[in-house]
Amino acid sequence: MFQTLKNFYHKLGSFPWFYKISGKVIPFAGVLSISLIVISSIWGLFFSPTDAVQGDVYRIIYFHVPAVSVSQVIYYSMSIAAAVFLIWRMKMAGVYIKSLAPIGAAFTFIGLMSGAIWGQPTWGTWWVWDARLTSTLVLFLFYLAIIGMQSTFASRKSADTAVSIITLVGVVNLPIVKKSVDWWNTLHQPASISITGESSISSEMLLPLLLSILGIYLFVFFTGLLSMRAEISTREQNKDWFKKVSNYN
Amino acid sequence: MIYFVKILKKEFLIYSRKSSSFISPVVFFLISISLYPIGISNDPDILKNLAPGLIWITVLLSTLISFQNIFAEDYEDGSIELLLASGQNLSLIVLIKIFVNWIFSCLPIIVLSMFSIFLLYLPIEGLKPLIISLLIGTPTICLFGALAGALSLGKNSITGPALMLPLSLPVLILGTQAINYSLNGINFSSNILLLTAILIFLLPIILFASVGALKLHFN
Repeated sequence: MFQTLKNFYHKLGSFPWFYKISGKVIPFAGVLSISLIVISSIWGLFFSPTDAVQGDVYRIIYFHVPAVSVSQVIYYSMSIAAAVFLIWRMKMAGVYIKSLAPIGAAFTFIGLMSGAIWGQPTWGTWWVWDARLTSTLVLFLFYLAIIGMQSTFASRKSADTAVSIITLVGVVNLPIVKKSVDWWNTLHQPASISITGESSISSEMLLPLLLSILGIYLFVFFTGLLSMRAEISTREQNKDWFKKVSNYN
Repeated sequence: MIYFVKILKKEFLIYSRKSSSFISPVVFFLISISLYPIGISNDPDILKNLAPGLIWITVLLSTLISFQNIFAEDYEDGSIELLLASGQNLSLIVLIKIFVNWIFSCLPIIVLSMFSIFLLYLPIEGLKPLIISLLIGTPTICLFGALAGALSLGKNSITGPALMLPLSLPVLILGTQAINYSLNGINFSSNILLLTAILIFLLPIILFASVGALKLHFN
C-alpha cells in the first residue's frame, strides 16, 4: 500500500505522465461535476423546503457554503504544495500553486459576493465586519498577493520559490489573523450572528447542500486539471515529449 | 562575533549618514497626523475615539516608506552578493539589518506619536499602552517589511505592500485594541503579551523566509 502511494507520488512529479493521465480523467470529472452542480442547484432551488425564518432567500446557501469551504481548502492544499516545492524541489508543486491560485481567488470572491447578497435581505446590510467575513477578506488578499508575485520574477524557478515562501508565511499567519479578528470582534459587537448553523439544518436541506459541495469540489478538481495542463504546456512547449503528444510540429 | 559587531556598526554609520532614511517616515507621519483633524473633523470627541486607530494605521503606512531601505541599496551595490558568498550566518545579518532599520525608521515615529495627545486629543491614560504596543508591535511589522523587501528587490511594484499589509493585520488589531481597552478602563496587558508572543513566534520563521527570498535573486 505504502509502496503504491510512494510510486504514485513520484509519478505525480513527472510532467508527461501527468499530462497523459489528466487527459483521460478530465472528461469524466467535467461531466460528473457539472451534472452534480446542475442536479444540486435544481434540487436546492426548487424542491428543498422553504426556511421557516429566512424564507426562500436561504437558498443561496447552495452556492455560498461550497464556495467558501473550497476556497479555504485550496489555500491549505497550496501551502502543502509549497512545502513540497521547498523541500523536494518538485516542479509539479510550482505548477499546482500557480494554476490553483486564480481558481481559489475566484471562489473566495464568489463566497464574499454571495455572502453580501445573502446578507442584504437577512441582516439588512451588505457587509458586516464580522470575524468570518474579515478573515475571508484577508484570505482573498493573500490570494491576490500570490497571484501578483507570479509575474515579478524573470525566472520560473525563482518565481515558484518566492510564491511558495509567501504561501507558507500566509498559512502560518492565517490562524493568527483569525484569532485576532475574533477577539477584536467581541469588543465591538456581541457575537449574535451565526452564519450557517449547520447543526440545526434539516436533512431535506442538508442533502442538496452536500451534493453541491461535492459538485463544486469536483469542479475545482476539473478546472484545476485543465489549468495545470495549460501551465505545463506553456512551460514544456519546446520539449520533445510535448511535441510528440500535442501533434504541433 | 566581532564580525557581527562590525556589521552592526557599519549599518549604524550608513543609516546615520543618510538622513533621508529616518527623516522621510517622520515627515510623512507628522503630515498625515495633522491632516486627519482637517479632513475628518476638529471635534475633540470624534478625534478622541478615532485616535488609536489613526495612529496605528499611520505608523503602518509610514513603514511602507522605509522597508525598501533594508536591502535595496545593498542589492544595487552588490554587497548582498558578498554577504551571501561570505559563508557567515545570514539570518543573523538580516536580523541586524532589520534591527538597525527599526531603530532609525520606527523609533523616531514612536517618540513623535506622543504628540497625538495634543493633535488628536488622545486622553493621557492612553499614552502608556500606545507607546508599549508600538514598541512591541513595530518590530513585527519591520520583519514583514524585510520579507516583502527581500521578495520585491529591484522591482518597483505593488507586491511589497500588498504582501506586507495583510500580514500586519493581527498586530494592528491587537495594538489598537490595547489602547481602546485602557481608555475604557480594562486591563490591556493580555494584548501586550499576545503582541510579544506573535513577535517571538514569527521572528525565526520570517528570518529564514527572508534569507531564502534573498538567495532567490542570486542563482
